[in-house]
Amino acid sequence: MSGVQQALVAGQTNAGVRWRAWGGGLRGSEYSWAIAFTLPYAAVFLAFVAYPVVFGLWLGHSPELYSQLFDDPLYLNTVVNTILYVGIGVNVRMFLAFLISGFFMRREWWVRALFLAFILPWAMPALPTALSFHWLLNGQWGLFDNLLWFLFGVDGPIWLNSRWTALGSNIVAYIWKFMPFWTVIFLAGRMAIPQDLYEAADVDGATGYRRFAHVTFPLLANLYLICTLLSTIFTVGDFTTVYFVSGGGPAMSTDVLATLGIREAFTVGRPELGVAAVMTALPIVIPIVIFLMRKLSTTEVQL
Amino acid sequence: MVRMSRRSVLTSSVGLTVAGLARPHIANAQAKTASVWVNQGFVPQEDAAFKKLAADYMKESGNTLDYSIMPFQAQNQKTIAALASGDVPDLVFMDAPGTILPQNAWNNKIVDVSDVVQPYEHLLTDTAKLASTFYDKTLRKRSYFLCPIKQGATPFHVWGDLVEKAGFKISDVPNTWNARWDFFKPMQKILRAKGMRKIYALGLEVETVGPNDGNNLYIHTMIANGGVGIVTSDGKLHTDDPKVREAAIKTVEYLSTAFKEGFVPPEALSWNDADDNNGFHERLFLVDFDGTISTELAMYSNKDAYNKMVTLGMPHGNDGKPVPCQVNAGGGFIPKGAKNVTVAKDLMKYWMQPKVMGENLKAGLGRWAPAITQIVKDDPWWLDKSDEHRSTYIREAVLEPTTAVFTGYTPAWGQVEAEQILQQSTADVVKNGMTATAAVDKMFKRANDIFARFTFE
Amino acid sequence: MSLALTAGWSNRRRYRVRHALMQSAAILFALVLLIWSLLPIYNMLLMALDKHDDIFSGAIWPPEPTLYSFQIVVTEGFWYLQYFWKQYANSIYVGAATTFFTLLIGSLTSYTVGRLRPPKAWLITNTAMLTYVIPASFLAIPFYRIMSTYGLGNSLWGVVAAYVTFGTPYAIFIFQQYGKSIPMELDESARIDGASPLQIYLRIYLPLMAPALVAVGTYALLLAWNDFLFQFLLLSSEKNMTVPVALAQFFNSDEAPWNYMMATAIVYSIPPVLFYYLFRNKMASGLTMGGVKG
Repeated sequence: MSGVQQALVAGQTNAGVRWRAWGGGLRGSEYSWAIAFTLPYAAVFLAFVAYPVVFGLWLGHSPELYSQLFDDPLYLNTVVNTILYVGIGVNVRMFLAFLISGFFMRREWWVRALFLAFILPWAMPALPTALSFHWLLNGQWGLFDNLLWFLFGVDGPIWLNSRWTALGSNIVAYIWKFMPFWTVIFLAGRMAIPQDLYEAADVDGATGYRRFAHVTFPLLANLYLICTLLSTIFTVGDFTTVYFVSGGGPAMSTDVLATLGIREAFTVGRPELGVAAVMTALPIVIPIVIFLMRKLSTTEVQL
Repeated sequence: MVRMSRRSVLTSSVGLTVAGLARPHIANAQAKTASVWVNQGFVPQEDAAFKKLAADYMKESGNTLDYSIMPFQAQNQKTIAALASGDVPDLVFMDAPGTILPQNAWNNKIVDVSDVVQPYEHLLTDTAKLASTFYDKTLRKRSYFLCPIKQGATPFHVWGDLVEKAGFKISDVPNTWNARWDFFKPMQKILRAKGMRKIYALGLEVETVGPNDGNNLYIHTMIANGGVGIVTSDGKLHTDDPKVREAAIKTVEYLSTAFKEGFVPPEALSWNDADDNNGFHERLFLVDFDGTISTELAMYSNKDAYNKMVTLGMPHGNDGKPVPCQVNAGGGFIPKGAKNVTVAKDLMKYWMQPKVMGENLKAGLGRWAPAITQIVKDDPWWLDKSDEHRSTYIREAVLEPTTAVFTGYTPAWGQVEAEQILQQSTADVVKNGMTATAAVDKMFKRANDIFARFTFE
Repeated sequence: MSLALTAGWSNRRRYRVRHALMQSAAILFALVLLIWSLLPIYNMLLMALDKHDDIFSGAIWPPEPTLYSFQIVVTEGFWYLQYFWKQYANSIYVGAATTFFTLLIGSLTSYTVGRLRPPKAWLITNTAMLTYVIPASFLAIPFYRIMSTYGLGNSLWGVVAAYVTFGTPYAIFIFQQYGKSIPMELDESARIDGASPLQIYLRIYLPLMAPALVAVGTYALLLAWNDFLFQFLLLSSEKNMTVPVALAQFFNSDEAPWNYMMATAIVYSIPPVLFYYLFRNKMASGLTMGGVKG
């Protein structure tokens, strides 16, 4: 389509990297297409989101649940753990994923091969990998300490016996599991950056760091922010890792809100308490959700 | 509208089930169908035994059972989801319904099954009856909410050959609680000197992770120290009883001291539910205290290891008096709102017949003991001396003194166990440097807070 | 490199040394990454290759390596695994359906919101976010209820519906973000040329979104592939179950052949890796399409 080619050329000649904002509304017949295209999601939403979320909120509505939660001396601890787990886990991981995605842009064959190994953590089911971590870190038969001994003659500590190393282990396990995922997302994002932008930058004499700061980073910044926020929401709800790696131990000191909630729901048998536990994270989750909503509704492309 | 779609799902799956079972006779059009959730067994024979039972029942009664055998965790979560959302099966059969029954019976969500249990009352063990009784707050009474089929106890598991290797004789094992554990302590040094560098004497489950082991060990140690009165069958907590307090303190002292003195593998603090068994199989320690004989049965096919293990029943308490073993009951319960209560009750009536019960449990290699004493007396297989593991275990669970688990008395206890505050007190002494007294007081306070939420009037 | 150090060197030499250093740094980095990624997996492999007695022996290398566990898995030789291949097929079915629908619905929606831009489009993305207010694991119970209400209890489609519900909002956001880097002029001129929105969607939007489609597709696949909570809850009969539920059986009691479990997990993770491997070229092709030169 020659029109497209012309447009592309036109777009490229704006090498100063400005896109024109699309200023118009829809023309008549396109409106029905819009409706048709959004109908599937609307149906999914109404059928499967509206009721469960409302029901879920209803399950956790009684104030008595919250007074019970706050009574628990471990609750505060759990909140601190959650903040640390989510705060460190998400941010360290995002940052590393971002850097590593740059590494994987390289073309060498061994980089490509490495990538396959790299996504394995993500590809494996969470339950066995978390369990594997749990056993890896065991002081007696764990591979990690045994390797330390074998390679360096160092007797490793019992990682899961102390609150901070256990928390650290949980964080490391979580980063390990999901970093490949975000790396893939960032990689896709990097690949979206048109080659000619880099070439224009080269022409302007920007290399290495300057190239990164002026071309890559601004374009990916939005993506990075959105991913971080989404990941925060996901991590607040993640219980598999903590549950199987440290089990919330030793002595419940590494529980996070999600594991607390699951325990209340399925071990104590009071799902309302479980939902309430996770809902106490809402003061953090809701602002994030609102922020994301606003971010996503801006329609202009900008730098 | 909604009902129709559910029924159509049921009828189609019924059709499939009937076709799948290929019974020679066609299901009576008048007959009814019940949906049953059964937890998966420990060995395939258990599942096969259930399928046979179901088939026999269907033949005899003409009713149809639409059953699903599912892993224990899945069943637990599904049942809780079902009870919370109101969409329940007709019968749920669980080996260990302690997470679900107390709370839901309290909230009037379980069907009273006294009419099923009463005909068998004279045959059931006392603890089976007690463990099947729960309090319904709406009706303000205690009643049978579980039809008990099986019971589980906790024996000691020992590596007999290692005891001999250390120069001791298993027949010398003392018969009082503390002395029994102490017996194994000197063996640690001896065996280490003989090249088993990583071995520990005691596999004390001081963990606060995982549902049972830590709580189990703690409670029995308390009972052995005279603290069985901590919770009475009326659901009241007696932490102000000096005997109970003393027992708790002694428990914490014993467990934490054994740990601090290095007789327990250090990562016991962070074991999960399977790790004590993993450790035992690895010969990481000599003795542990774990529910049922699953530890031995896991080695059933390895006759060499199977025979090296020794199973011991309950010793006497530190005061020399017999210590009852805490025993739970597993069986079938019927959630309220079940569409086919009649068939569900009928099935349980069938299952509770001594002959049926006995046969069904035999297939499980004796991991679960029957709830009816007469079964083990009538059928020599249970107490057959040639299998020392099973006979000791069954004797412990059925014939020797037992007491019911506290979960039946009040839902509060289930929460106490779920919050792991018992072994937390041990951890407080070991890790946080508290004194045993302070740790116990802390634990008692929390227990009282939890119990305060469940008032009985 | 400081000029003092390299004062006497030629530019070329400086470049070569620098290049060599960068290369070795890259290789070192790659090595670290490799070890990092593979260590826990090696642990799983170690356990899978061990005989039952050796699993917790603390060895670094399997003392008596055996493929027995894998054999058991593949031949369905253990009773927990007796329906392994049927469950595998179910997992593939659920995974494929989830991926397909998530990509379809997600891309259609983000196309509309991002390109067609009807008024009040922000409503859609905003309400989509509501899906994430309560973590998925706690929505499991209401989900259980509605699935029975819709007649989807114990059906694989119920599970697919659940995953599509959780995966689509995320897909929409990523597609939207990604789509911002595709110039609107393309749509404009196609429209001038007389193309309908459907044709623009199929011919321009989708091909240019290829890298994002692969990324999100893999995400959707893995969401469905590795979750166990919803599969537990929404499925009952043995023949309907999926592999994660089969894995859960290993927790039936506190005794289990962990080597079989690890072997099962390893065999189970092959399809997603394969999926990614097969489609990764599509990701790279997006590179050339995103910056066509005239």
